[in-house]
Amino acid sequence: MIVGVRKPLAEIQEMLAGFDRILLSGCDICVAECVAGGRKEVAELAAALKMAFQLAGREVDIRETSVDRQCVHEFLLEVVEQAQSVQAVLSLACGAGVQALAARLPDTPVFPALNTLFIGETAEQGLWLENCRGCGDCLLGFTGGICPVARCAKGLLNGPCGGPRDGLCEINLAREFDPPVPCAWLQIHDRLLALGQLDRLLDLAGPKDWSKGGAGGPRRVLRPDQRP
Amino acid sequence: MRRKLEIVMLACQQAVPEPAVLEDLLAAAGFQGRAIAEPCSSKVEVFQMLRILAAEADLLWIIGCPEEQCLFTEGSARMGRRVEYARKYLEEIGLEPERLGMSRIPPGETQTLKAMAAEMTGRARSLGPNPAKSPAKKESDL
Repeated sequence: MIVGVRKPLAEIQEMLAGFDRILLSGCDICVAECVAGGRKEVAELAAALKMAFQLAGREVDIRETSVDRQCVHEFLLEVVEQAQSVQAVLSLACGAGVQALAARLPDTPVFPALNTLFIGETAEQGLWLENCRGCGDCLLGFTGGICPVARCAKGLLNGPCGGPRDGLCEINLAREFDPPVPCAWLQIHDRLLALGQLDRLLDLAGPKDWSKGGAGGPRRVLRPDQRP
Repeated sequence: MRRKLEIVMLACQQAVPEPAVLEDLLAAAGFQGRAIAEPCSSKVEVFQMLRILAAEADLLWIIGCPEEQCLFTEGSARMGRRVEYARKYLEEIGLEPERLGMSRIPPGETQTLKAMAAEMTGRARSLGPNPAKSPAKKESDL
């Protein structure tokens, strides 16, 4: 799923300066799971903005809506209709959702309420971890299902650097992480050992083709069989 | 005539089996109190706290059981973390975080309820009207 966090309220208020009728639009899938942009967070932010504007002496009409997928056209129809009667939309979706909505509202400004961070996993309640960079050339079949591109701080493809201590990545020395960041390559080693596939570590990975990972420009998937 | 300060209480029904008692205590002290019974204090979510402060309350108080007596084991602890999060949100908004209070009280203790009511009324009095709530409910409009 896509993981994001809410922008500071002051930044959101600044974006909305000059608009008196605003629609807050949430997305109830990824960003609801990471408690950043679902309908509950829409309600939180709406109440927060009402109070902040009130304190600033501004009377602003704030409306709320939420859909299941702001990145899919069919799910956006309702929001597009609701947006016709406001001056601006504040989207609590990921960056893809914000852009999908903006593309369908040519005359209405659409602002992001979140900073979109990464593709990740709900590791524990209240803890989301980055574990995929969308590199376009998945190595998980060779690394025991643990991604060195996303989970090794240096993105190394052929084993660990010299920095790990007690199973932990040396990035923990730079700042405090709670829980601490493990060495992804130690995790890969332990996982392959448990699977009886340790010999996979003997296969050297060649230079990675980053053109599949965004270095080749905006990526797209075209499926002729799915086209209208 | 000046409107009475409004205190809204969201109270775990184990900790406060008779919420009307709290309303009476606040009314006797010259406040308008509204107590809402909750199955557990952990059922109260941050968006509800903010909405109540935005719409009607001069002071909002969440009441749960002592952590070790929570019927749902971790409900009272969870409530504490949510209140803390909501207070940080209030700081960002520019509203005094003290407008959101919380207590953990043993079920059904009248003396404790009285002490808590005194704390609430003292806090409400010192903070005064909530400047961030909806214009329809603002003191200056009445």
